[in-house]
This record gives sequence, C-alpha cells and structure tokens, in this order.
Amino acid sequence: MNVLTPRELPELFAALAAPGARVLAGGTDLLVRLRADLRQGRKVPSSLVRLDGLEELCGVAREPDGALRLGAATTHAGLLAHPLVRVELPVLAAALADLGSPPIRNMGTLGGNLCTASPAGDTLPPLMVLGASVELASAAGVRRMALADFITGPGRTRLAPGEIVTAVLAPSAREFAVRHFEKVGRRSALAVAVVSLAALLRLDARGKAVEARLAWGSVGPTVWRCPEAEAALLGQRPTLTALKRAAAVVRARVQPIDDLRASAAYRSEVAGNLLLRLAAL
Amino acid sequence: MPKRHAPSLPPSPPRADALAKALGAERYAFDARPEGCLWAGAFRPGALFGPEGGMAHGRVRGVDTTAALAVPGVLRVLTAADVPGANLQGIVHKDQPVLCGEVLRHAGDPVALVLAESPEALRAGLAALRADIEPLPGVFDPEEALKKGAPQVHAGRKGGNLLLGAVIEKGDARAALKSVPVLVRGEFSTPVQEHAFLETPCGVAQLLPDGALQMTVSTQSPFRDRFEIGHALGLNPFKIRVRAPHLGGGFGGKDGATVQCLLGLAALKAGGRPVRMVWDREESILAGYKRHAVRLRYALGAERDGTLVALSCRVVFDTGAYAHLGSEVMELSMEHAAGPYRIPHVRVVGRCVYTNNPIAGAFRGFGVAQVSPAFESLMDELAEKLGLDPLALRRKNALRHGDENCSGVRLTGSAQLTDCLDAVAAHPLWTTREAWRAGAPAFTRRGVGLAAVFNGMGYGRGLADMAIAKLELTEAGGFLVYNGVPDMGQGNSSAFALLASQELNQPPSAIGLVQPDTEQCLPSGSSSAGRTTYTYGNALLKACAAMRVKLLSRAAMALFCDNLEGMELLPGMVRHRPTGKSLPLAAMAGFLSRDDRVCVAEALMPVAQNPPDTGKSFFIGFPHLLFAYAAHLARIEVDELTGRVRVCDYLAVTDGGRVLHRQGFDQQAQGGVAQGLGYALLEDFRLAEGRILTGDLSTYLIPTALDLPDIASEAVEGCEETGPHGLKGVGEVGLNGPAPAVGAALYEATGARLRDLPFTPERVLTALRKKPRRRRT
Ligand SMILES: Cc1cc2nc3c(=O)[nH]c(=O)nc-3n(C[C@H](O)[C@H](O)[C@H](O)COP(=O)(O)OP(=O)(O)OC[C@H]3O[C@@H](n4cnc5c(N)ncnc54)[C@H](O)[C@@H]3O)c2cc1C
Repeated sequence: MNVLTPRELPELFAALAAPGARVLAGGTDLLVRLRADLRQGRKVPSSLVRLDGLEELCGVAREPDGALRLGAATTHAGLLAHPLVRVELPVLAAALADLGSPPIRNMGTLGGNLCTASPAGDTLPPLMVLGASVELASAAGVRRMALADFITGPGRTRLAPGEIVTAVLAPSAREFAVRHFEKVGRRSALAVAVVSLAALLRLDARGKAVEARLAWGSVGPTVWRCPEAEAALLGQRPTLTALKRAAAVVRARVQPIDDLRASAAYRSEVAGNLLLRLAAL
Repeated sequence: MPKRHAPSLPPSPPRADALAKALGAERYAFDARPEGCLWAGAFRPGALFGPEGGMAHGRVRGVDTTAALAVPGVLRVLTAADVPGANLQGIVHKDQPVLCGEVLRHAGDPVALVLAESPEALRAGLAALRADIEPLPGVFDPEEALKKGAPQVHAGRKGGNLLLGAVIEKGDARAALKSVPVLVRGEFSTPVQEHAFLETPCGVAQLLPDGALQMTVSTQSPFRDRFEIGHALGLNPFKIRVRAPHLGGGFGGKDGATVQCLLGLAALKAGGRPVRMVWDREESILAGYKRHAVRLRYALGAERDGTLVALSCRVVFDTGAYAHLGSEVMELSMEHAAGPYRIPHVRVVGRCVYTNNPIAGAFRGFGVAQVSPAFESLMDELAEKLGLDPLALRRKNALRHGDENCSGVRLTGSAQLTDCLDAVAAHPLWTTREAWRAGAPAFTRRGVGLAAVFNGMGYGRGLADMAIAKLELTEAGGFLVYNGVPDMGQGNSSAFALLASQELNQPPSAIGLVQPDTEQCLPSGSSSAGRTTYTYGNALLKACAAMRVKLLSRAAMALFCDNLEGMELLPGMVRHRPTGKSLPLAAMAGFLSRDDRVCVAEALMPVAQNPPDTGKSFFIGFPHLLFAYAAHLARIEVDELTGRVRVCDYLAVTDGGRVLHRQGFDQQAQGGVAQGLGYALLEDFRLAEGRILTGDLSTYLIPTALDLPDIASEAVEGCEETGPHGLKGVGEVGLNGPAPAVGAALYEATGARLRDLPFTPERVLTALRKKPRRRRT
C-alpha cells in the first residue's frame, strides 16, 4: 500500500484519480476499518492519499458573510483550541470536547467525521443546528451544499469520485441565547453516542423562543430533526412544562433501533428527556 | 492476638520496576521476537462469521488444509491428529482439547494450528482454511443445561453437564430460617467479566537440539504450566523450561494455559525454529477465560436487634465449555457466600454447570466478587427493615479474630473488619453524607453506599500453598532474588526486593531480581489467590536469615573472630563492631563457591486445623484460614434524565495486616476498585447462543480515567502473625466492594434495589421510572 502526501490540490486530485486510491485524514476511522478488512481477507485500498500536507485544508477563518470557515483537515483538538470556535460555535465545541479521547482528538479531523457519516458522528448534530454547509472540491471544480444534503445515509454522502471536502462553513450561533449539546454514551470517554442532542433557541426580549433548532444523533440512520418539537417550543419560555410538552412530541415521533449499546425504548425516552436539560441551563 | 498499630517499617522506596516500565525498557513476553521466528495462529471456525453467524457447538467432520498449505509462507497446518499426548489441557480437570478433533464446544474452540513464515502469511493461511462442521444443538443457560434431555456438552460424561454439586453447611439453616423474626430474600445475577489485560496472551517457544522445549510466555503459573503442557503433548514436564517475564496484566486470566500448549505443539513441529504466538484482542476475548456468570438465591434471617441467625444461599455457576477452575471458583463463592459475618446457621448449595458458552475461570476476586453484591444488598435491606444504621448492623455482626466463620472455621488469623468499618464511620465522606446528598443539582440524585467485604488467601486445604525462595550473593557483592511467582504488575517482585534489602541491610540498588524461570528459580506456585507476597515473602525472609548467618559466619572465619557476637551485616560489608574490622561482600563472594553463595528456603501457608465436617465434595481448596477484609464507601450521582451513574467519591479501607509498601498497597486497593467499578457499572459481556456480541474493546467497555473518581485508600494497620512482617495479601479484596457499595448508593438515590449487574443506565432509568419520587431519609 502506498501512502502519498501531496502538497497542492492538483497533485492531490491526480493521486486520487489512481484506481483504488483513498483519502486519509486522521485515519481514526479509516485505519480501524482497514484492520478489520485485512483480518477478514477483504480488499484494501492500493494507495492512501494524505490530506495533512495541504495547508489550505487546515485552520479556521472568517468568511465574507461572517460564517466561520473550518478547514476539513483541521483536527478536533485544533478546532477546540481555536477561540472563534469556542466563542461563536459553542455547541460544536461542546461536541468536540466529548469526542473520543485526547489522542483521537489530536488525530481525527472534522472532514473525516463528516465523510464517515456515522449516525453517531458527534459533530453532525451541532453542525446541523448551526445550518452548516460543506465546500467540496475536485479536479472539476468547487461546489457548496448544505450539510443536510451532503449526508444521505449511514456512511453515505454526496461526494463524487475524486472529490474531497475542503471546508465546513458554519454561521455563528451568537444570536441564540440557549445553546446546548449533550452526548449520552455508555462511558465518559471513548464512547459511541447512544443518543445526542444539539439545541439552539433564539429568544425574544421576553425570553420566549422565536426560533428553535433541535437535532439528535444516534436515533436514526442520519441526524434526526423534529420540526414538530421545534414548533411546540415557539412562543414559549423554555420552562420545564414547555420542554416536557416538546419531549412528549419527540418520544412519540422518534424511531430509533435496538443495538448492543441501548434498546430503542431507552433511546426514545432519553431523546425526549435530554430536552428537559434546557430548563436547567 | 493481632496487635494494632505495630510500629511501621521505614518509608518505602519506589517500586523496583518503576523506572524500567516508565522508560519502556521492561521486556515482556510480548517483546520476545527471536531472529528467524515462525508465527503460529489458531483457526477457530466457530467464530468465523462474526457475531451474526458462527456456532458454539458442532461436530468436526473435517478440516480442509489444501488451500491454506498452498499459501506462500505457510509451512504447516496441524490438526488434532498431529497432537502427541493426551491432547487435553486443564488445571485440575483435563477436559479441554488443545486442538478439537471431534467436537467444537464453544465459539472459540480451535481446530487447527497454522505455522507460517510471517504474520501476513499466517493471516492468509488462516483465511484460506475451511472446516466442515455439523452444527449441534447447544445449551447456553446453566439451569437449562441441568434439565433432562438438555444437549450434553461433554457427551457420555458421568454427571452430564453438572461439573460439580457441593454443599457447605453449618448448624441448621432450614429450621432456623423458619422461625427467625426478620427475614429478607432475594435473587441476584452477576455477569461474565473479561480481564482485558493490556498484554494479550502471547509467547515464544523453541525445541532445542537436546529435545528440551523452552518457552517465554505471559503466564501466572510457569511451574504448573510444564505439567499442563507435558500432559497435553506427551512430553516430560522436566524437559520443559518456562520463563515468565513481567506480565502486562493477568488478573487470573493467565492462570492456566492460554497459548502454552498451542505454542508447545507448534515448536514440536517447527524443525527447531523458534515460534511466536500472539492473540490479538478479538482472539483474547474469544478464546480467553472469563469471570463466571452466576445466579444466586438468598434468604437471610436475623433477630430484631440485628443479630444474624441464619443464611441460605443457592448458586448456579456457568463454567462454559470446559471445567478450567470452575469448581475451585465456586468453592470460594460458597465459602464467602454468607459475607464477613458471624452467622450460626448457614447452608450454601452450589452447582457448577457446563454450557456452550465461553470458558470461565480465575478472575481477581475469584468467586467472591460474585457473592458480595448479594450478601451486602441483603444486609442493607435488613438494616432498613430493622430501622438500623447499615454500618452499625455490619459492625455488630462483623467477624473478629477468634470467631467461627460461616463455614465453621475458627479465625486464628488477624480479622480487623470492625476497624475498617470504624475508619469509614469516622471519615468525612461518611459523616458529611446527609449534607452532600441534600446538595444534589437539578435532575440529579445522590446516594451514599457502603460495603463490607473479605477475600480468602491461599490455595486452601488439600493443596500445599508453598513457595521456595532462592537468594544468591553475587560475585559483585550484591544479591539476587530468584523470584518464583510471576509479577503481573501487582508489584510482588518489588516487595521481594524491598524485603531482601531490609533483611540484609543493603541499599535497594544492591538487590537484583531474576523473574520466574523454571530452570533458575524454584517452584513457588502460581501468582494468584492473594498468596504471592505472603507465601514467597515468608520463604524469602527465611532465605535472608540463612544468608545473614552464613555471611556473618564466613566473615568471622576470615576476620579471626571466635563467634558471631559483634558481627554485623552492613551495606556492602560485614563488620566486627568491637574491633572495627570489616570484610567487603564482594571480597567474600570471591572466596565462596557458587553453591555457598546461595540460600534456599521454603514456606508453607498454614491451613485450618480440625477442618469443619462439610464441603466434602471439594477436591481441593476448602476451607481457607486467612482473609483480608475491607470496608468501602461510594458516593454517586444518578442522572434522572439518562440513568447514568457517576461515582463522585470512593473510599477503600483495607485490612491487609501490616503494610510493607504503602504505594504498592494503595495501588492494589485502587486497581481493584477500578476493576470493580467496571464490573458494577459498565462491563456488559453479551452473548447470543454462545456467540460473543461484545468481541472487542469498542463494544465491551471498561472504565477510562474519566469514569473513575479519585480513590482514597486507607489501611488499618494490623499484624497477621503468620505473614512476612505481618502482611496479608490484598490483591483481590478491593474488587469485591464496588458492586455492593454502588448498589447500596443506587438504592439510596433511586429507592430501587438493583439485583442484576451491571447497573447500566438503562436498568437505572427503568428503576427511576418505577420510583419517580425522591426518597425522604
Ligand atoms: C477509539 C476511537 C474513538 C472514537 N470516538 C469517536 C467519538 O466519540 N465521536 C465520533 O464522532 N467519532 C469517534 N471516532 C471516530 C473518528 O475518530 C471520527 O469520526 C473522526 O472525526 C474521523 O476523522 P479522521 O480524520 O480520522 O478520518 P479518517 O479515518 O482519515 O477518514 C474517514 C473517512 O473519511 C474520508 N475522508 C476523510 N477526510 C476527508 C475529506 N476531507 N474529504 C473526503 N473524504 C475524507 C476517508 O477517506 C475515510 O473514508 C472514534 C474513533 C476511534 C478509533
């Protein structure tokens, strides 16, 4: 297996054009999968093309429209250490702080988390409520699309062959007074989410919600939204009573599955319960 | 009488292995990778298809080796037909084939062994193997396995699936329970637990030109391994040399053959080349031994004042496909089933049963960790029923020196559980509990629980718990301790170095250690059973005493002294105090022959005299005489929204006799608690028809640093008269406390008694739903 380290995008696209080539970012998903493939005698890529030689894929910058541009190959630790991320995207920062463990955060990247498109990917619910979009690039050019459109199913994205994610564009969440992310895993680190919730509420001068954005992880094939629960919160103060009403809507509509980590019943109940936490913020 | 507060020994130096391990310089069996070695790997077809497919019981109709042998770099593919000797391994009962030729009894059973030039060729060879296996109906529940018509795990075996049925009885519990004023009962279950040591089973072996087999392996029992390998492969055990460098963890999972017999077989067929075998994590979980899952049914009766009167307990053990140490683990469970309390009438009935589940065996807290959640839960229930303080109830009934325990053994050794409980009672974590509980934040309930636990030491009656220490004055005038019991990380070899340095009055740097090697060291039993430092330590003290006398006498001769009066052993020399004449140890080493520079001495752990007339069906191991005790306290928070439990504070107060090395003592307490908290809260080993669903460490979750609180460890200083400098073994007792302490804290927080381990968020949330109101206390 060849490992290539291109320094410029054209070089990268050329490397990816080779049959059996695969993008390697932090490798924290890819290498785990490769090991399993090797053990089971399955085919593995002929070459791995590293992203960490390309400076333009790393770092955080301000876009002209005020959104933050997060380089796809920036590590979780790198993002977490960035003041702009902490101040303007606290829901994302909270998710990053809970992702994996220090070594995983030092290797794993945001782009990798999106492209893996796991139902339990920790950065996905926060980026969804933030209304983030992705920038994609290939030899054919650059395009942008909403993150919600980019991820189409578990492990499935709209990436075209030879295309990579170059950046994530995330609007600031500063005008949302209530910002919350919570991950429920089976332990406090190195745990796949059993349920997670990202929530943003914009409140008016009287403290009533004028906009509610909620997104759950690990309760469906991709991030799950619940417009009915969001609607139930509009015009309300986020009191326990109001949140309980919305939680009941969530429990009635969510359709998670059973797996080793938790039963569907537990996931449904907790998906609703997590909303109540907003009352204690 | 054991004394309290015996004067402490000087402060302890750093562990002898600290620097080498911190620098990554320590060589483990895993690091043995001789030039030109071959690679051996087992083919385990029952697990071939992952958790979805696979099978746990089947008839082996054939193994097709053609495609595997065609893989470049694959040298040999061995099957049962190639195994010389009995092809059966096992510590006490020999019922486990090295390679299965007829029947597959659990998903991890091996049917072939591949020898290859490289790990890549080995992997390809294993992938190319095919086995023809006819599925057989399996049995996966021990109680089902005892029913008439159940599939037989060992067809034709007398006794069927019942490996052992046993009774321990004292007084008349059945009659007493009928008339007690207060009675509590309960049914409990404890799960399989995986050792999850850092270093998976591994080793290298080589057949030497003279026909001797030599092996370096990650093992807790190098001396016994020779007999297990010898029996399985038809070899003379005394022509097998086993070396056991430091282990990267063992916890009981390397007590008994893991890779040994397979490696030995591979070496026999490797044309004299060294062979290496390493199980990866998945194979270790699949084929390794586990903690027995147990079902327990209890009744406990008391007087209104809280005096315990009678206890009845029935346990059913799932030993999996092979006996391994099933009977012996169940023996300890039964002996500890009534808790560290005085109870006049006790009846404990146990059944240890074969199933087609993974093989169960030794695990730190050997059978005791399975009963402690049950007896302690009932003690709490009793306290509540009687309106007594749970700590006071325990203190009232706690076993003390001189008492008769629940299997009828008079406790002639130290027993300071009441001191442990007093230390908890006086601790701020206990005295401030009401205020702490009341300060619970939103959506959070707090609870504080305690547990009193114990753990027997040594092999018990019927199997001499012996160690033989060997000590050498080196040519350079230092000393070498030939350790006979592997150091799995628990620090016993450091303790030996410390003992030798104290006894011989030498600086720590003058003491070297030889780790177990059946050729250089002397048989000292396994690294297990809270016996390691106790038994070998006693032997070493004797060897040190002999060495001291030897050196003083040889020096007296050279210094023209008439007797040993005034002769003293000082760092690096012997001196005659009255005259000031001295002789360097290095000089003495120069004129002593090698034979004369060595001292050997043995020690035997005492056993119960006049053993009680019960427990007759135990072949070995019943009863025990010496016990370590502990009182634990856990403060926890339960999240009402998710059922997650956070352990906020933890205190372990341990009676381990006299403390020789405080750091080592605390590490044992803390390590035991960490593993016990995993057992209590996280570790959820899942099986479906004998297939392991949690086959790696992403699905079988053990605690991380963030899941553990700071663990305060306190010692009640006592003295076990028979122990080296008064110490007792403390390696196991710490694991027995967390599950009951957390269980009690959960009850306080939720109002529900959880009786099935582990206490998962899902179980806790269900309990909360049933008890929505906050309990008033
Ligand atoms: C022990 C452990 C714990 C973990 N814990 C968590 C956790 O708590 N939460 C969580 O969400 N995840 C977790 N993960 C998963 C993983 O760490 C994250 O998904 C991480 O963000 C992946 O990033 P990476 O850079 O390592 O991706 P890689 O493994 O390098 O790549 C993943 C996939 O994405 C592709 N890819 C990567 N970057 C790009 C790009 N820019 N453009 C196109 N394709 C790309 C790769 O080709 C590959 O298919 C864990 C993994 C491990 C091993």
